Amino acid sequence: MPPHVRVAQKGVKMDRTIQEISVASKAPKKAMSDTWYSILLIAPAMLIIFFFALVPLFYAIYLSLRYADLTSPAGIGPFVGLQNFRFALNEGVFWMSTGHTLTFAVFAVGAEMVLGVTIAFQLNQLRWFKGVIRSLLLLPLAAAPIAVGQVWRYMYHMDFGVFNQILAPLGIPAQNWLGDLRLVMPCVIVFDVWQWTPFVALIVLAGLQSLPKEPFEAAELDGASTWQVLRRLTFPMLTPVLTLVFALRSIDAIRMYDAVASLTRGGPGMATETLTYYLFRLGLKYFRMDYAGAMSLLFLYVTVVFTAVVLRSMMRVQAERARRA
Amino acid sequence: MQARTVTMTDLVRYTVVIALLILFLFPIYWMIATSFKDPADILTRPPKWAFKPTLENYRYAFEEANFGLFIKNSLFVSLASTALVIVLGTLASYSFARYNPGAGHLMFFILTTRMMPAIAVIIPYFLIFREIGETTIGQTLGLGLDKQGALVVCYTMFNLPFAIWLMHSFFQDIPIELEDSARLDGYSRLQVLRRVVLPLAAAGIAVTAIFCLLFSWNEFLFAFLLTRSAASTITVGVNGFWTLRGILWGPLSAAATVCVVPMMVFALLLQRYIVRGLTFGAVRG
Repeated sequence: MPPHVRVAQKGVKMDRTIQEISVASKAPKKAMSDTWYSILLIAPAMLIIFFFALVPLFYAIYLSLRYADLTSPAGIGPFVGLQNFRFALNEGVFWMSTGHTLTFAVFAVGAEMVLGVTIAFQLNQLRWFKGVIRSLLLLPLAAAPIAVGQVWRYMYHMDFGVFNQILAPLGIPAQNWLGDLRLVMPCVIVFDVWQWTPFVALIVLAGLQSLPKEPFEAAELDGASTWQVLRRLTFPMLTPVLTLVFALRSIDAIRMYDAVASLTRGGPGMATETLTYYLFRLGLKYFRMDYAGAMSLLFLYVTVVFTAVVLRSMMRVQAERARRA
Repeated sequence: MQARTVTMTDLVRYTVVIALLILFLFPIYWMIATSFKDPADILTRPPKWAFKPTLENYRYAFEEANFGLFIKNSLFVSLASTALVIVLGTLASYSFARYNPGAGHLMFFILTTRMMPAIAVIIPYFLIFREIGETTIGQTLGLGLDKQGALVVCYTMFNLPFAIWLMHSFFQDIPIELEDSARLDGYSRLQVLRRVVLPLAAAGIAVTAIFCLLFSWNEFLFAFLLTRSAASTITVGVNGFWTLRGILWGPLSAAATVCVVPMMVFALLLQRYIVRGLTFGAVRG
């Protein structure tokens, strides 16, 4: 029962419910201000986030400015200034692995966007079994990459793999998919595309389904061609959704690790050594935490800048949409 | 939807869609099929499609590779971290949605933590948990290396930013008038939260919980680096079949099936929520 407040009059005792009394006895007379309340609510979560985000960050900065070869007796050594960063920017493997990461990200995300959007458009036109098809398409996303990646490894196998078996009747000779320097990166990309295209497709599908009908009906009345509708209506209206999906996939593609760890382990040689995989080898196998720290900070910096740019442009688009609406 | 005759475009479209479904689902079928194959049937050239099923791979995984322990660890760590994320994240997300402490900057900071490369944090985490594991508090809470507690905290940390961001949209969708009128009725802010907001946000919270569970279950890297044997999770177990002696494909497929199929069943049952969650962040922004 909500407590009823009666104006205090001389001689009249104010009624209070049990709830009011118990609350008042715990809290100060004046209720907590909104600001403090809001801070109290975010406090536990922010404590965890601050601690586990900032402490490692500062520690990484600390390590990146020192000599830190954990296999040597010196361990974490003296301050060396920006030497590690200079080394990183001159290190061949650093740039090579960055190149691999970018190649992977560009082609994987590109393919996922194109395929995902196409699939979304087709799904949008389906009349029956839409829900079932949508749920089935969801399944690759639920699979742990490290686990299903091993299965793909088996399928890619030169002798025992099912891909060579299926391609044989088409006249394509058996390939050593994961052992051939020219084929291995495309194979890793295909794996990622397999897993994440449904992600793009489902989000774009939802975006399509949420578009207002009126502009399209008007366009049809005006006799616009399909191409015109797509170019002038659909895609401009889908831009926020497409940008968001692109941003999400890009950030995750750059940080990909499980796919390489389960398919190729950076190989053959270093053909699929992405930046994340190289950093792990450097930091946790060779224990050069100074170089790894410096490189990961550079990596973080680029990612944050990229995301900030994308997010800001997205927010600008949305603010404009809200203004127009 | 008016009744229309089935057109040629419909047929073509459905053929394409069915072909796509086969393409996307084939690896999963192959994984499950391989897990029931006798090792002799796995290493054949060309691979066999018809075979006599056997449970030998599962037996090996559970009896000799101690897979039951991994499943238990995964279950505990996923459920515990999800519970923590929901409790802490709901409160924080509600606060950000209604009061916006930090004027957008805190939210941006939270989003950027999602972008941290794992390597930058893994060694500090390793050292932090090693230190905590030596203290008495750490030992009672199980917060050391190769302990479940460490993974629970880690996964909570990973999923909190995402959960806060996702639930932000859900909370913003609840009309503030409902809360205001409840306040006018004399409810305290906490009561309003409990009685008015949470029931309305229940679907959104459910969606977030589903995603947190999924991410925690599928996570590999930190489980691999922070555990050795006692607290290893399913993903670490699957990776463990890639040994120095060679890859044990049979048990590996069985392990992968145990890792993947439950999540797929989970996803199928809750697909409506999952799709809603995926699209909510995207379409509403």
